[in-house]
Amino acid sequence: MKIAKNSRRKFLKSGGSVLGASWLAINMPLLLSAAETAVENKNTGAGYANISLEEAIELSALVNQIIPADETPGAAEIGVVYFIDVALGSFMSSVAPMLRQGLEELQQSTKSAYPDKHSFSELSFEQQTNLLKSIEDTPMFETLHFMTLCGMFCLPRYSGNRENAGWDLIGFDHRHAWQPPFGYYDAAVHGQASAQGDEHEHV
Amino acid sequence: MSTSEGQPKYSTREEVDFVIIGSGAAGGVLAKELSTNGFSVVVLEQGKYRTAADFKHDELDVLFNNELLNHPGWNDPQTFRRFDTETAVQIQGEPPPAYYARGVGGSSVHFTANYWRFHQSDFMERSLLGPMEGTGFADWPISYEEMEPYYTKVEWECGVSGQQGPFEAPRSRPYPLPPMPVKSSGVLFEKGARVMGLHPQPAPLAILSKPFNGRPACVNCGFCMGFGCEVNAKSSTLASMIPLAEATGRCEIRPLSTVFRIQTNAAGRVTEVVYLDSAGQEQAQKTKALILSANGAETPRLLLLSESSRSPNGLANSSGIVGKYLMGNAHSVTQAAFEHPLNEYKGVQVTRIVHDFYENDPARGFYGGGGMDARPFLDSTPILSALTGMPPGKPTWGPEYKQMLRHYFTRKMSVLGSTTSVPMASNNITLDPNLKDDKGRPAIRMTYMDHADDLAMATFLQDRAVEILGAAGAAEIWREPVSGGTVQAHLLGTCRMGNDPTTSVVDKYHRAHDVPNMFICDGSSFVSSGRGQPTMTIQALAFRAADHITRFARNGEI
Repeated sequence: MKIAKNSRRKFLKSGGSVLGASWLAINMPLLLSAAETAVENKNTGAGYANISLEEAIELSALVNQIIPADETPGAAEIGVVYFIDVALGSFMSSVAPMLRQGLEELQQSTKSAYPDKHSFSELSFEQQTNLLKSIEDTPMFETLHFMTLCGMFCLPRYSGNRENAGWDLIGFDHRHAWQPPFGYYDAAVHGQASAQGDEHEHV
Repeated sequence: MSTSEGQPKYSTREEVDFVIIGSGAAGGVLAKELSTNGFSVVVLEQGKYRTAADFKHDELDVLFNNELLNHPGWNDPQTFRRFDTETAVQIQGEPPPAYYARGVGGSSVHFTANYWRFHQSDFMERSLLGPMEGTGFADWPISYEEMEPYYTKVEWECGVSGQQGPFEAPRSRPYPLPPMPVKSSGVLFEKGARVMGLHPQPAPLAILSKPFNGRPACVNCGFCMGFGCEVNAKSSTLASMIPLAEATGRCEIRPLSTVFRIQTNAAGRVTEVVYLDSAGQEQAQKTKALILSANGAETPRLLLLSESSRSPNGLANSSGIVGKYLMGNAHSVTQAAFEHPLNEYKGVQVTRIVHDFYENDPARGFYGGGGMDARPFLDSTPILSALTGMPPGKPTWGPEYKQMLRHYFTRKMSVLGSTTSVPMASNNITLDPNLKDDKGRPAIRMTYMDHADDLAMATFLQDRAVEILGAAGAAEIWREPVSGGTVQAHLLGTCRMGNDPTTSVVDKYHRAHDVPNMFICDGSSFVSSGRGQPTMTIQALAFRAADHITRFARNGEI
């Protein structure tokens, strides 16, 4: 596979730089165990395994800036913070210090710009947007951006993409088999037979 | 994981007929052919033995955590630089410069499965076009006519779907399987290409359009590029060749076995192959002969690692060109969005190609040729699309970005242009002088910058792609900038074939000029690069090599 190098490099510079070596040290059983713990926590309301509740509140505000709620759910509601919890406890553990420092700096910036506010999450949506525009090129924001998209569109087994809401947003129907026609432009070639697919449970 | 039931268990002290290093596109074919021909074979594969049941639609793990690429036992980093005047830097957290899968079946497991035969001209462009100063531009010592029976063998034994196109070289037998069902990208590309007066054709793919050789047809799940096939419809050697090799009872596949040295004796013959087994223990397998099919990066690395007092510059390297003339094929990517959903995430990648620009044309003002194809590419899977498939110059987060994700994912396609690579000694694989892997082996260092003609050809194809997509009625078209490649999935030319031992590493039968009982057969054998889809030719070379190696072995000529 060959990926368009520039665009790929741009995101890998941020998100990708935290993967790789750290991932090698983590084997799949450990990851799955972390994921299962997080899923369990999510289901039982037991909270997070690797982040504090305060951090989760700030991260919720941040990821909802990246994918906001409109007529469909935002990133936090789709489970992205739970995904981040899983990732920081396993295959992206190496970025946790950088992310925490970035969060700390964000709180400082918040207080400087809005002395009456105590945290980023207390700001209005517009105030949050304006503040983030000043840090959107930082490694912290780029990493969070990468993690948000992973949490939106990963297999639900990683605790993100809750009830396939990320896939529903973009029109990705995950099945393990398809029949033509696949799309609008090949329908005429294949006739109008409806697409059949095997329903698949996402695990 | 496969249990290797039914396989023989050779002692490492027992001298087997052949050790094959690597189980990929070439190694898998050679394992099947040589074991079928009655020889005892041990295949050493550094990756895991996964089977179809192990492959998942897990984009995060496969495309971003490189699950199929990473060394399974330890960190094995690589470094990259464009020119030898630069210091190579370690590539971390990005795709490795030499981009190949580790595992039984090698990169044939994760490839996209485009299977273009070479044309007659690919083997003799130096004669047809004359010399290119300062390059290794050369003819192959073999012709298309010698290769044709083996291309046919690949199609019929591995399983290739397709339909003879207007520019393809003559064939002795039709494709065994009809083309895959056309996708919206194929329909649009064909429409636009016809408007431009071109001759689009169904794409030949090593993916089964119908049940074949005991394997099922493709179910159009969409997870081809970079993924392992969950139903064995992709004609990897894992699906097509390895089971036949195992069925002979003469072939032992040893996964998680990383070779770090080829041992030779005073006569300059290979005696044993030294490797680290799955427990990290050093082992040495004795063998009568060696076949090196580790890919165009690992093969030269291993030869360079196997230096000795007799061959201080590396085994089989009296010419000094082991690792040189690396060719990766240049590419250009043109993205487009249409009014209605294409749903390109369903089905195989490529269903239509254009080969009108395959041959060199002096009127273009530079050397080269290439092929074009229509595919989802960056919009195959959701995370990749969100990160790389959205139009440039727009927000990458916030309400508008969310709206873009909603709109574009199903409405996108790309046209990929794939081109020739001029062979140049300055593009190469060497051992990094500073960086080592966790076991102390020098890391792969890639030095690579596409020749200006290669980038000109890629840009030429991108210009045509813009015209075709416009003629197809695209609502939006944008170009990915054409620039020198930093990640090479096609690892070609680093132990090139030739008649002259001073300018090539192997002879026309893949025997190393310097080592009588060692054969090298993989992408490294290439003399020229073709037009961007090399695996078909790698496999045809492997079938051909197996015939000759069998003949030599039976005649006592190894």
